Amino acid sequence: MLASVFSSTLFGVEGHGVSVEVHCSNGLPAFRVVGLPDANCREARDRVRAAMLSSGFEWFDRKVTVNLAPSGLPKIGPGLDVAIAMGMLVASGQVPAEAIRNIGFIGELGLDGSVRAVPGTLSLVRSLDSLAAVVPLVSVHEARVAAEASNGQAVFGVDTLRSLVDALAHDVAWPAIPDAPDPPLRLAPPDLSEVRGHHLPRWAAEVAAAGGHHLLLMGPPGAGKTMLARRIAPLLPPLDSEECLEVSCVYSAAGLGLPAGGLIDQPPFRAPHHGASTAALVGGGTGRVRPGEISLAHSGVLFLDELGEFAPASLDSLRQPLEDGEVTIARSAVAATLPARFLLVAAMNPCPCGFAGDPGGCRCSVAARDRYRRRLSGPLLDRFDLRVDVVRPDPVALLGGDPEESTASIAARVAAVRFRAQMRGERTNAALSGPLLEELTQLTEPARAMLRGSIESGNLSGRGLKRVRSVALTLKDLQAVRTDDPAGASSPTDPVLLDEDTISSALELRANFADPTSNRRAS
Amino acid sequence: MSAARESNASTSRSAIVGGERADEVPAEAWVAALAGLSCVGPVRLARLLDRYEPRAAFAALARGSVSNELLEPKPKEGPLRRTLRDEVGAIDIGELWGRYQAAGLGVGLVGSPGYPEALAGDLSPPPVLFWRGDPNALLGPRVGIIGTRRCSRYGLDLAHEFGRDLAEAGVRVVSGLALGIDGSAHRGVLSVDGAPPIGVVGSGLDHVYPKAHRELWNEVAERGLLCSEVPLGVPPAPWRFPARNRIIAALSDVLLVVESGVRGGSLLTVRDAYDRGRTVMAVPGPVRAATSVGTNRLLADGVAPALDVADVLVALGLSSGATRTDVEARPAPGARGDLVLAELGWQPATVDILIARTGLGVGEITAAIRKLTQQGWVARNGGWIERVAHPS
Repeated sequence: MLASVFSSTLFGVEGHGVSVEVHCSNGLPAFRVVGLPDANCREARDRVRAAMLSSGFEWFDRKVTVNLAPSGLPKIGPGLDVAIAMGMLVASGQVPAEAIRNIGFIGELGLDGSVRAVPGTLSLVRSLDSLAAVVPLVSVHEARVAAEASNGQAVFGVDTLRSLVDALAHDVAWPAIPDAPDPPLRLAPPDLSEVRGHHLPRWAAEVAAAGGHHLLLMGPPGAGKTMLARRIAPLLPPLDSEECLEVSCVYSAAGLGLPAGGLIDQPPFRAPHHGASTAALVGGGTGRVRPGEISLAHSGVLFLDELGEFAPASLDSLRQPLEDGEVTIARSAVAATLPARFLLVAAMNPCPCGFAGDPGGCRCSVAARDRYRRRLSGPLLDRFDLRVDVVRPDPVALLGGDPEESTASIAARVAAVRFRAQMRGERTNAALSGPLLEELTQLTEPARAMLRGSIESGNLSGRGLKRVRSVALTLKDLQAVRTDDPAGASSPTDPVLLDEDTISSALELRANFADPTSNRRAS
Repeated sequence: MSAARESNASTSRSAIVGGERADEVPAEAWVAALAGLSCVGPVRLARLLDRYEPRAAFAALARGSVSNELLEPKPKEGPLRRTLRDEVGAIDIGELWGRYQAAGLGVGLVGSPGYPEALAGDLSPPPVLFWRGDPNALLGPRVGIIGTRRCSRYGLDLAHEFGRDLAEAGVRVVSGLALGIDGSAHRGVLSVDGAPPIGVVGSGLDHVYPKAHRELWNEVAERGLLCSEVPLGVPPAPWRFPARNRIIAALSDVLLVVESGVRGGSLLTVRDAYDRGRTVMAVPGPVRAATSVGTNRLLADGVAPALDVADVLVALGLSSGATRTDVEARPAPGARGDLVLAELGWQPATVDILIARTGLGVGEITAAIRKLTQQGWVARNGGWIERVAHPS
């Protein structure tokens, strides 16, 4: 009269093993689900009953209690349906208990007894405490990837409750697994060689990718900000195995699915519209915690076009994840931590009309311009290590001339610089801690004077000072990997001497917004 | 109040008009009160004062007995006569005049002895003028410097130079204290120990506009003259600026337009200057520059070009005097800096343009630009780099 079945539930992007316990006893007929089920999960009783009846099983009118253990963990969504049904069948003696020993069940039931897919299969299978996993037929390929990556469970797919019971109890073969669909045609990513002119923004893109420095592009409409931003993700090196799994888990948990038969192995590029809510950006929502855009952009590029049009509160909610590389969404019972280590690339117009900067071209009042810029909070702005202006390119440059340096050749340098950062113990130079950065970089006297001048004129904050040093280090690394002779390049862990030119360039790369000289005099 | 009733034999309603101290205040107070009414600009005010004594005009408005032609053209919003009657009824003239005395403002009625002579004979002199500072600052040759608020670095620098050099030559610079050209010209005047600055503004002298120019207002008032035809407590309104511009035109022996777009307040001032037979001069700019379209068109129409301060002095009938030799205080830009400055010239350029001209790499050019910015040789305006003539 008692059955216990393995299953798993999703919170954030992580699966948590759940033991579904079904107890039948004499008493008034009832069916109760306990153990913090959410509304959707509690509705399982209606789906399970209908599915069992339409699959030709018996529903018995006894007092049934379903406990979802651990009972303190909230259970969200319909993924426990199949496990509950199996528990019922075992508890009522329609399936022998041995048949389901050490098997975990994941899936939602339809009223006709069909088994449907649920989001997060990847994480759910990974967190199962059993030796085998039964998943909806359409999720088999994803589940196999998860099994390979964790403990090598056997994975079976089913399409109906009937076929599941037949396979387990009556020696009928498991339903045939459909062939993995062909991997989608991978279109060549957009190439930087197509971006003509734009020396400064192209260089900033290279530095951003190499050092993991967040980048703000500012310029009039049509100057090429978006075009440039879309070419930054392909500059990043392919994901390593750990990142592949992290990113794939996020996509699976968001219900976005994975590329056919495998993990996501390229850095993702996400470009949410500026109407996105705070929950859509950082994750959350009612009921289950859905990964936000910042988690979907994990290990890749988050591109915020028209930064000034985003709700200021939403933007400020990015500050903590930018600092920590993950976001924690706390609920009363439990907190979910989602990965969110992304390269932030943003674009905005310099003013409402978009033409500030073209001398004499702006039609906005000074007050309107100030208001527009004030939409970005100082602390958020300070987190952009690179802030460059994108001016409309010379039409002649657009028409002819040689193509610029290609993505492939720049990506090689980016990978080399990132490798140097890893030798220093971090993924990127931008992630180096303050003390480590002090140890790794020394300033020449003119460089020191240049920094002092910037601080005195009010253009550089304390945080900015540290950021300038790390950008300067990335610039030096790029120089080092450019030299053809690898032996000549210094060891990454040796202290680097930052000269005046390097510091000047690093300052100039974050000059926008920080250099109000011309405005001060105009106002 | 009983005194007021005896002195004014008309109806009891008009007798209490203006409050208890109505008999103790001078005519200026009544005009200041009239000028502060809504929909009473210089034209209506002048018409009212043509017909009535100031206090009588006030009383007539309070009775609502002002004839229609004095109030023409009728404004679209509501019955003007009733609005004015209500506003007049609410004024305590004693308290109002007390504010002028507390602020220490000079007040002059056209035709009265204190009124600046330079304006007295004008086509449409301000019926009343309020000022801070010394009205004697107006005695001497005067040049108006005007231009767009959205100017380029080129215009800013030139306005500064003209202001400075004219002040050194003993010429009073008249300007409107607006953002851009106006403010830069007066900053130039204040940067040397020369002739006093003259500021004409379009709001009450207690309403600093633009707010960023508060210090500039005070400095102009301390070292020269800051005047307005708008009474205390009246905020700036768009229609008041063209009215302010006619005073600038009236006060200028020569009107100099430094930068102006296709349409702009500067060109209205130029028309006012023509109406008064003043000499207009314009600073030529690059043909393609949006900020110089207006001035270049003026030049094409035959306005005299002002290439430097000597041209303006000649137009004033003054000798150009010794040429100025500047001591360069900025650190030397160095060989690479010199190359960038030479290739930049005096036109704004982008980083791409500079790379193409100098042949330097993007790393070198950004380092050079940063250094030149810090030294004060160039300034950035969005993605454009502009050469700075002299650091401010």
